[in-house]
Amino acid sequence: MQDAHAATMEAHWGGGAAPFGASWQKTMMWIFIVTDALLFSGLLCAYGFLRMASPMVWPKQSEVFSIAFIALMTFILITSSATMGTAVGAAKLGDRKTTARFLFLTILGGAAFLGCQAYEWTHVIHEGMRLSSNPWGAPQFGAAFFVLTGFHGTHVFSGLVILLITAIRSVVGKTPAQGVELAGLYWHFVDLVWVFIFTLFYLL
Amino acid sequence: MAEARRNPYRIYWVTWGILLVITLAMLMAEELHLPRWFLVVFLLAFMMVKATMIGGNFMHLRYEKRNLAVMVFAGIMVTSLILFLYIAPESWSVLEKIHR
Repeated sequence: MQDAHAATMEAHWGGGAAPFGASWQKTMMWIFIVTDALLFSGLLCAYGFLRMASPMVWPKQSEVFSIAFIALMTFILITSSATMGTAVGAAKLGDRKTTARFLFLTILGGAAFLGCQAYEWTHVIHEGMRLSSNPWGAPQFGAAFFVLTGFHGTHVFSGLVILLITAIRSVVGKTPAQGVELAGLYWHFVDLVWVFIFTLFYLL
Repeated sequence: MAEARRNPYRIYWVTWGILLVITLAMLMAEELHLPRWFLVVFLLAFMMVKATMIGGNFMHLRYEKRNLAVMVFAGIMVTSLILFLYIAPESWSVLEKIHR
């Protein structure tokens, strides 16, 4: 009976009892990431709507921001993703020293990114950018900027908290390799979201 | 044996290098005064390449069961596309009403 049931499942979608072939923790993390991605997708679509429906000229990004500075922020985030990947790899190999070292490097990268973002926000606020107005053109520009980068920055911050807890627990041997991997998934997701914001908001 | 001797972290740093090169190419394309439509297609295409590399190599979707990768990719992209395709014509009709 059991076999017949398994065979039916297999025939329909090849998934059997474990359709994703992953532990429940990892499956839940992925489901969370998909829903969180949809939050950003909604925000980016709203930004697209505001920009396309704006009767006023959309400000030229290179006149508002230093694109070189944004590129530096991108570089920091991509690098922190690579160090995170290395930490996950080391955790899988059971190398706790390398795991801790690269986790702390990742935290350093994330903190540097947040610092850059705080600097950028301070700068544009001084120049007169507000949620409802700005000196460069369409008033929706400020709202799009603050909401998109604000939500992303909050994710970076919560990622930092998770990484800090993971790093400390990993040093004392309380976090298994999978714990580091799940924290890594979230961190890479934050990097992934930045790829979209960087292209759609700063470059296009 | 050869697998064990190879640097296990190589994939992350190779991906890092490729991501940096793509980012630089995107920044340079901005400076080149290309036709707008070409720039948009170029940037969107490379944005997707970067996203695929992060998902595949950093988040290990390449090594997971296909079902998981399909669920993640389809779940995000199809929903986003539907959302955008419904929202885009709305923005044009708003513009039309403003100009009328």
